[in-house]
Parts: sequence; C-alpha cells; structure tokens
Amino acid sequence: MPVSSDKLVVFLAKTAQGDRKAFADLYQSTSSVLYGMCLNLLRNREEAQDVLQEAYIQVWHHAGEYHVDRGTPMTWIMSIGRYRCLDALRRRRHDSTYDEVEHDYADDSMGPMTEAASMKDSQRLSACLQELNTEYRSSIEMAYFRGFSHQELATATGQPLGTTKSRVRRGLDLLRRCLGS
Amino acid sequence: MKPDHIERNHALAAEYVVGTLQGKARLRFERWMMDSSKLRRQVWFWERRLQPFNESFAAVPPPKDVWQTVEKRLFPDAVEQPETMWDPVSMWDKVRLWRWTTAMATAALMVMLVWAPTAPEQTAYLGVVQNQQAEPVWLVNTSAREHQLTLKALPAVSNVGLDQDYELWLLPSSGAPVSLAIMPTGGAELRIQLSNDQVRELIESRSLAISLEPKGGSPTGQPTGPVVYQTRLIEL
Repeated sequence: MPVSSDKLVVFLAKTAQGDRKAFADLYQSTSSVLYGMCLNLLRNREEAQDVLQEAYIQVWHHAGEYHVDRGTPMTWIMSIGRYRCLDALRRRRHDSTYDEVEHDYADDSMGPMTEAASMKDSQRLSACLQELNTEYRSSIEMAYFRGFSHQELATATGQPLGTTKSRVRRGLDLLRRCLGS
Repeated sequence: MKPDHIERNHALAAEYVVGTLQGKARLRFERWMMDSSKLRRQVWFWERRLQPFNESFAAVPPPKDVWQTVEKRLFPDAVEQPETMWDPVSMWDKVRLWRWTTAMATAALMVMLVWAPTAPEQTAYLGVVQNQQAEPVWLVNTSAREHQLTLKALPAVSNVGLDQDYELWLLPSSGAPVSLAIMPTGGAELRIQLSNDQVRELIESRSLAISLEPKGGSPTGQPTGPVVYQTRLIEL
C-alpha cells in the first residue's frame, strides 16, 4: 500500500538522524517502486539489485539533504535511483535492439509515457505531452524510459545525429515552456 | 566555461534529467551544479515535473537479500536473521525496545535484551548491550530451539587489562549466578551451547550480568569482580 509523502518525510528526517528503524520503514515503503523502475530501465535483475543497494546506501548517507524543492521524498529517491541506472547503462551499453524499441514506441500505443500521463496528478504533464509532435515526444520518451543516448536515439530512429539532438532539445524546450507556465 | 545563459542552463538541466547529457559533458554539468544553486533548482524542476513518468513503472518487490546487503554494508554490527524470519520492520520494532530500558545496577552502563517470540520451535532472543554513550557493545543472539547463545563483540567494547576478562552470568530467579561464558572482545564472535536448565532459567528470570574477572574467568565459579552490566530481558 502506498505510504503518504508526509510519512515518508518523517522517515527521511529520522533517517537523517541515524534512525535505522525509520530507514527500514523507508526502504519497505519505497523500494518496490524504485526496483520496478530500475528493472524497466536496465532489463537486468542483477544490475537492478546492485543499483537498488547503492541507491539506498546513498539515501542513508544523504537523507539530510532532502528538502521540499526536491519534490516529494519519492521524487528524490527515484532521482537518485534513476541517475544510478543511467550510470549503469552507460557502463555496459544495453543490448535491447533499437528496432524493437522503435516499434514499441512509434505506433502511438499505450507506452509507459502515455500510462504515466493518464495518472492522477500528472494532467499537466499529460496535456503538455499531447502538444508535442510525435517525433519530439518519442525521442524524449526513448531517452527517458530506455536511457538512450543521442547516438542510440539516432540509430533507433534512423535519423542523423544532429537531427536527433535538435529534436530532443526542441522537444524538451517546448515541454518546459508548457510545464513551466 | 560555465553555462551562463538561462535558456542554455534549462536545456542542459533537462537533458541531464532525461539522460541524454552524457560522458564528460555530464560530469562537467555535475560540477557546475555543485557551484550553482540556480542550476540545481533547474534540475529539481525537471525531476519534479517528470516524476509522473517514474510512477508509471510497475512496482516490483525486490528480493529480501537486497535489504540484507544494504544493512550489512551500512551496519556491519547488525545481527543476521535467518532468511525465513527476516523482516526489516519487525526487526527494528524489536531493536527499538533498547530505548525502553531503564538504568540498571550500574548507573553508567546499560544492557538491553529483547525477547522476540515467534513460532515456539523458532523462539529467538536478540540482545544488545550498550555502553554509556548508547553505542552497542555486544550483540547477544539466542535460539531456544537450538539452545545456542551467540555473543558478538562490537568495536565499542572497552579494552580490559591483559589479566582480565568480561564474564557473562545468568541470574536465576533464586540461587547463585550461573556462569555462561567469557565475553569475546576485539570483534570476535563466540557461540556457546546452553543446557535445558539454562534455557529455562533464562526465559524465567530474564536476568543477565557481566562482571570483570581475572583472565579465564572467576576462579571461584561465582562473580568476584565488579558487575559492569546488568539487565532483565524484555518480553515482546
């Protein structure tokens, strides 16, 4: 059952003071979500578990650095995990085939992003995504959900590297202008 | 050169969070972030705004040994729990009881033991001996089923003279103290076998004491030195 952000804030605050029980509570409340994300990004259980370990060790050591500007505790923890997943991806260059990925996302079916956008509290993101054209949206989507580099995106979409970079940049710029309003 | 244009900063922050900022550019950006609160805030903006993406992933409970490894790495002094009994929350619920104990025979030092009843054949006891600074000094772990008592010395154990040892005593409800073991020091772990009587007494009296004795333990079979730790077991 999801734990409220208020409760997670308490767990984090206590964790920052060295409270191991609170840390265990925090782990129990958040690790499934983080592990799910890591599995999706890394497609490898062992690596996902390694990332999970490293992420929570970082959470323990840096719990005191959390503050409200970082979003909810979940946002903060997920960001820690996400960057570690991206690092892991860089280290090994994942082997999922670009054709497959492109197919997954080029057909406008219900991809992770669309599902995300349909969730409560994400109407704004959803609305902004809808405003992006398909090229921009799928570039951002592949980068975010697969951890693709510009080069990998270029390979996956069959576009020149320069075009791919421009698409990502332009797409994110449009997204920010919409989200930031 | 550091980014100094707001649009450029936004673009870099976005690509940092999305992940397309890579290699040296990523490392450089991380260094800039350390210097620039403005840049950090822009990164946080994207992290917050894109959080719904993260929530779209299906939650998958990780294997239990991930937590065990995290614990082992962060708290090497933590007591290992058998796989079947592991549960981070219930374990810490037990350990939290350390704080409920009141001062014991010696004003300066405390021992707190936690009794964790589970299935009868798996009854286990977890004990933590803390010093005045509330640092764990020894871990005491027992299994009634196996009649075993495991004593693990932690770094906070005070050194004793070469000619001294800490000795652990069971204090029965009536009668004289029963010597259980010489407490290990220097990070060592000691496992001893308890008799049926000792297990029964331990559960009944719930009282333990540690005294300072001549090397090798009391020559008389009864405490001869000062009792430096004493406690009662706490029943959950």
